[in-house]
Amino acid sequence: MSSKSYKIKEKISDALELPKDITLDIPKIVILGTDSVSIENHKGIISYKDNEVRINTGSGILTITGHKLAIKSIILEEIIIIGKIDSIGYR
Amino acid sequence: MLILRIWNYLRGYAIIIVKGIKIERFINLAVVNDIYLWDIEKIDYTTIKAKISSKDFLKLRSIVRKTDSNIQIIEKCGIPFKLKKIKNRKWFFAGVAALFIFIYILSSYIWMIEIYGLQNIDEQVIIDNLSYEGLKIGVRKNKINKREIENKMLIRMPELTWVGLEIKGTKAFVTIVEKKPEPQLINRDEPCDIIASKNGVIEKILVLNGDGMVKDGDTVKKNQLLVSGTIIRDNLPERYVHSMAEVHARTWYEDVEEIPYEQIEYRKSGKVYTTYSMEIINRKLERNKKIPYEDYNKREREIYVLNFGSYVFPIKLVITEYEELVSMTKIISADEAKTICEERLNTKIKLQIPEDAVILNQRIEYFPNEKSLIGKIYVEVLEDIGVKVRIY
Repeated sequence: MSSKSYKIKEKISDALELPKDITLDIPKIVILGTDSVSIENHKGIISYKDNEVRINTGSGILTITGHKLAIKSIILEEIIIIGKIDSIGYR
Repeated sequence: MLILRIWNYLRGYAIIIVKGIKIERFINLAVVNDIYLWDIEKIDYTTIKAKISSKDFLKLRSIVRKTDSNIQIIEKCGIPFKLKKIKNRKWFFAGVAALFIFIYILSSYIWMIEIYGLQNIDEQVIIDNLSYEGLKIGVRKNKINKREIENKMLIRMPELTWVGLEIKGTKAFVTIVEKKPEPQLINRDEPCDIIASKNGVIEKILVLNGDGMVKDGDTVKKNQLLVSGTIIRDNLPERYVHSMAEVHARTWYEDVEEIPYEQIEYRKSGKVYTTYSMEIINRKLERNKKIPYEDYNKREREIYVLNFGSYVFPIKLVITEYEELVSMTKIISADEAKTICEERLNTKIKLQIPEDAVILNQRIEYFPNEKSLIGKIYVEVLEDIGVKVRIY
């Protein structure tokens, strides 16, 4: 059911050229070099460790690994994570 | 985000340490409850360090209870906490403020007057006159009108030629120039000689008193004795008189002037190049710019940027204007050179000849060569060359 409505939404937003991150409630991730990642449309932190941050998003659990990771700022819409980033992936 | 930081600094924030097992839940609940946390760092497995605004800190209580964690404030930052500190030490800051006000007030009065250029006049006389015109120790600086005091001092003390008044800090510097003492006149009853003030040939000597030592037609040298006040006669003791005589002598003046045929004239081309520089406490801040002209007229203007009443901050803007000059070589004919030469010689020689002298003869000789014209002027005048000298 949810996958069906997801497809319809995707088609509509494709047809109307609407930004998908708003219509589909999926995260928009901006990586600035190796020191900063900002995630818009997140759904909270699952785990936070010095070398790994796991964030819940509309498209799955986003895992960021690295060294000395810190949350520079966290609000309802956006998380900014700084530190030395090694990898980012949905796991 | 920077604006948010500044806002938080103004509002005040705290650095806290949160301990608990459900630390992620703590962060999520804070976000959901509209509590802004920033600069979150993991310290160890169950501990984080974060910053929180002082307003949001009170809202944390329910979250702390839900997540069963432990909060500790380690530092309070921002303006409200700073103000609190100041409030605790208000007498200290009041003292600092009072000190500055005190310095400001004290520095707006004149505390010292220094007088330069005194020669014969007593310092106290100047100080008295200055205080009469409004410049004395303990007077407010902004009440002093420098130009007016200078002018009034000159009217008040006719023995002064010039008065300059300058105020630096709490010191007033007064520079005065005294009038030169008038030449000493020798009284009629004092014995004196008459000597020649310059070389010449005596045209006519008319001795009224004393013994004439030269005759008409004699050539005399500078400082030669013309009329003696010491009268020596046979069988009589020496007598001293006040010599009086009119000694008219022919004297000569000459001068040389060279006029090259190639005359260089400078004319303004109308182009102006302007540079700006700052000068802070006599230290010039300047970009080294090349002046695009070979020959130029330089003109500088200075503008003091900051003025507060009588306080002028030593920061000034210097505007330098360079006006381009174009040199033009002009070749003049021998006749033109002669006219220029004559004109210049006449003005030059006039400065040498005393006013009461009578010009008897004037002659200009020209010696032309390849590049220039040399003119020589000879002037023969009749003048009084006698100068009285006291006999000691």
